[in-house]
Amino acid sequence: MKNFALPRSPKVIAGMVILGIFLLLMVIGPFIEPYNPSSPLFLQNLPPSSAHWLGTTELGQDIFSQLLDGARATMVVGLVAGLVATVLSIVVGVSAGYLGGKTDEALSLTSNVFLSLPGLPLLIVIDSYLPVSKRSNPLVIGGVIALTGWAWGARVLRAQTLSLRNRDFVEASRIVGEKRWRIMAVEIAPNLLPILASSLLFTVLYSVGAYTSLAYLGLTNTSVWNWGTMMYWAQANNALLANQWYWFVPPGICIALVGTSLALLNFGIDEFINPRLRAAGVRVRGPKSARVSRPRLGMTPVLRDTSGVSS
Amino acid sequence: MSDAPLLEARGLTKEFLVKPQGSTFARRRPFRAVEDVSVQLREGRVTAVVGESGSGKSVLARMLARTVSPSAGELLVGGKVIDPHQRRDLTYTATVQLVLQDPFASINPVHPIRHVLERPLIIHGTASREVPALSKELLERVALTPGESFLDRYPHELSGGQLQRVSIARALSVRPKVLLADEPISMLDVSVRLGVLNLLRDLCDREHLAILYITHDIASARYIADEVLVMYAGQVVEVAEGTDVVDHPRHPYTQLLVSSVPDPGHQDRVRIQAPSATAFPEEGCRFAPRCPLADDRCRRQVPELVEIGTGHRVRCWRVEEASVLFSSRNSQKGGGEIT
Amino acid sequence: MSESILRVENFSVDYGVGDRAVRAVHDVTFSLGRSEVLGIAGESGSGKSTLVYGLTRLLRAPGVIRSGSASLTIGEEGQRREIDLLSADERELRALRWRHISVVLQSALSALNPVRRIGKEFDEVLRYHGQGTSRAERRARAEELLAMVGLKSDRLDRFPHELSGGQRQRVMIALALALSPDLVIMDEPTTALDVVTQREIIDELRELRERLGFAMIFITHDLSLLVELAEQIMVMYAGRVVERADSSDLYAIPRHPYTVGLMNSFPPLSGEIVPMSGIPGSPPSLASLPTGCAFHPRCPLASEECSLSSPPLVVEGSRSLACFHSSPSVRERLEIRS
Repeated sequence: MKNFALPRSPKVIAGMVILGIFLLLMVIGPFIEPYNPSSPLFLQNLPPSSAHWLGTTELGQDIFSQLLDGARATMVVGLVAGLVATVLSIVVGVSAGYLGGKTDEALSLTSNVFLSLPGLPLLIVIDSYLPVSKRSNPLVIGGVIALTGWAWGARVLRAQTLSLRNRDFVEASRIVGEKRWRIMAVEIAPNLLPILASSLLFTVLYSVGAYTSLAYLGLTNTSVWNWGTMMYWAQANNALLANQWYWFVPPGICIALVGTSLALLNFGIDEFINPRLRAAGVRVRGPKSARVSRPRLGMTPVLRDTSGVSS
Repeated sequence: MSDAPLLEARGLTKEFLVKPQGSTFARRRPFRAVEDVSVQLREGRVTAVVGESGSGKSVLARMLARTVSPSAGELLVGGKVIDPHQRRDLTYTATVQLVLQDPFASINPVHPIRHVLERPLIIHGTASREVPALSKELLERVALTPGESFLDRYPHELSGGQLQRVSIARALSVRPKVLLADEPISMLDVSVRLGVLNLLRDLCDREHLAILYITHDIASARYIADEVLVMYAGQVVEVAEGTDVVDHPRHPYTQLLVSSVPDPGHQDRVRIQAPSATAFPEEGCRFAPRCPLADDRCRRQVPELVEIGTGHRVRCWRVEEASVLFSSRNSQKGGGEIT
Repeated sequence: MSESILRVENFSVDYGVGDRAVRAVHDVTFSLGRSEVLGIAGESGSGKSTLVYGLTRLLRAPGVIRSGSASLTIGEEGQRREIDLLSADERELRALRWRHISVVLQSALSALNPVRRIGKEFDEVLRYHGQGTSRAERRARAEELLAMVGLKSDRLDRFPHELSGGQRQRVMIALALALSPDLVIMDEPTTALDVVTQREIIDELRELRERLGFAMIFITHDLSLLVELAEQIMVMYAGRVVERADSSDLYAIPRHPYTVGLMNSFPPLSGEIVPMSGIPGSPPSLASLPTGCAFHPRCPLASEECSLSSPPLVVEGSRSLACFHSSPSVRERLEIRS
């Protein structure tokens, strides 16, 4: 539908590259791990070496394999929860904003309730009610996380929808006889893409954080490897006191990197998706020699160099 | 073929509840945005409604399009009264269409032009295989040729004038009998305006539509319209055929309007002066606070719309004095219009 | 003829630098007399706003002035000083602004701070420029200024949203005249107003000019308004001046086909109804101008040379014209009724 141009900003490219690496790990991680992450076959508490790039745990497991294996669960849950939450927020937010009246009141009340519930404690409570077998399923955990993460996006989308529904082109669609649900889905929703994309990125970030937190607290099935569980074991075995930085720092860095890449991507979202912004981009970019430093308002710069200007 | 107008409004009134300005706790009072307006839209004729912002002209258009429901009065299509409780349906949509003021805002920026024309065609029953050809034809009817080249473009690639033509094409796609145009050219570049205006007139003549042209620019109304209604503060104050309203204005407000338009060819025209409007009066003629001729009766009683010549109606108690005043001022220098 | 207050030569402004730069104002030359009104007419993309904001160095990034000179002559008779607007530093510009040049913006309706009362705006402006040593003095001056534009002094205690569009515009004009500047620049001040209010404001401006004697640059797309208001009119298209003349001359004998077309875009208030066509096509985007004369795709007189090179601006006395086909009979050739 739209022709995508490659983004130019270095921030966005960095974000894409980093996220790309982790997505790749999500897929191939378990296949490239040197050893089985759960098997306690090796000497315990080994520091990093050529055989064990990140050393071994208290139980003698290879940490690097755990890291690679853990990428999958962490990323999958993050993505699934992010997607489910975003879909929920679109449906609730756009409906509330466009339909108004009692529907809006009911939906807004619901999202306000979910917003005011504290996320992590709620997760813990819900999680404790889950049968243990289900706790091992990342998708179920993902769904639960999504339940606590959709409300904020719904509010934002509702506000955007409210401002869009009074626009002329929405009125024009109504005048021409378009049905309500089609207006919401086809006319209004595409205009929400920049906000949606932003919301998705942040919800994924939130989900990764929530899942990792749950795992760190030991509330997920510890037989499924993820970065949070790694840190759970590290903490349980006093890795900090023993100065075993190679056990808990790498998973922490990975989480931080994923978060950073999502935030970097957010910078480029607007320009990337909106065709009009892309086409209208007249930026002060050029050879460094001609570059003007950011001018102050009220002091329009005078640059009498006549080279490189189209006449 | 029946002689009934394609669309008729009788005594349309729209009241809004508003808080009086400046007070937080006063009760909301009814504000009449449109009061007792009647208009007939006939086949092959352009009817213009001239008024400033706040005159109620846009609310009138929305009532005719049935996106706003009137507080009083009735609407007739082809001579038959419409039941106000019945919602606007596809039949009405296919009969009466609306073109809005801002071409950049009336077209969704995320879809190509193809989508803009496709949707109304499909909603109103065109088979999907016929849609591309019909879309192309619609674009060519509004002088966007070659049609195909526009279909895949996005709104931001087109100019204001072109977008407005697309808006008109969209309205035409449902084959309406009545086209309502709410200030269709005021946001366009000056050199482009007449092209779109001529298009509207052309469509009216060629395709026997009834067109309602709403504007604040009385000169363009004179240029294109068969009949002109002048609105002030929600009421129709003068109705006349074609050029009569500008050449022989009878209501003091119309005279004020006409004399305020920049007219370099007649700079020595004497100007009618009137103080600025503040709030509209609760009783009596709405224009009385600004009118140089207002007397006690004007301030107490709302004048009726009275016929004073063929097809020329005025809502003014002192219409005779107004006519004399205006014509005498204009005959003071050579070349003025004598009534 | 009065001496000039503003002299501009070969003035050019770009948006952006490097090979993605777009020329918004190209080689503009004009001069303005001490009490003269210059009207600048043009449509979107003509560069008329960019021109005046560039001259006053108020243009926002990525606007860059690329060439030319602009000098403002201020001071009392006998003690005139010429200021080079383009090489002035921040201190000099600040001394100039509002005291010698003031600007009434297009979006005056949103230029007033909505949470500030009108009186406060006046107080700030007067205080910042050292006028009036006490609040009472400044209030008195504000009342004087409001009276000058026909507003009652109770408006000072109101918020902007409590005033009508016309009243807000009058407030902007009063603010612009607060320090009795030599030059007032008005960017489409009446475009958003209804025709009756526009008439009132124009009449008021005329009166004020007669009383205070300031020069004015008035920008609008409404050419017929300029014929009434301005002594000199400059018509711009796609960043260039296409024609400049005394307003009565321009109205009587417009020589550039664009000027003729523009005049032909306003239906008259009297006379027989004759089909008028405006100008076919639409103003070009500055990023993708046609080759040669920017107007040639829409011009009924265009010939081959028009598509090859851009006609230079030829100055003959008080008239300037940029067209290969200039001649008094242009009007006849385009069959315009006069």
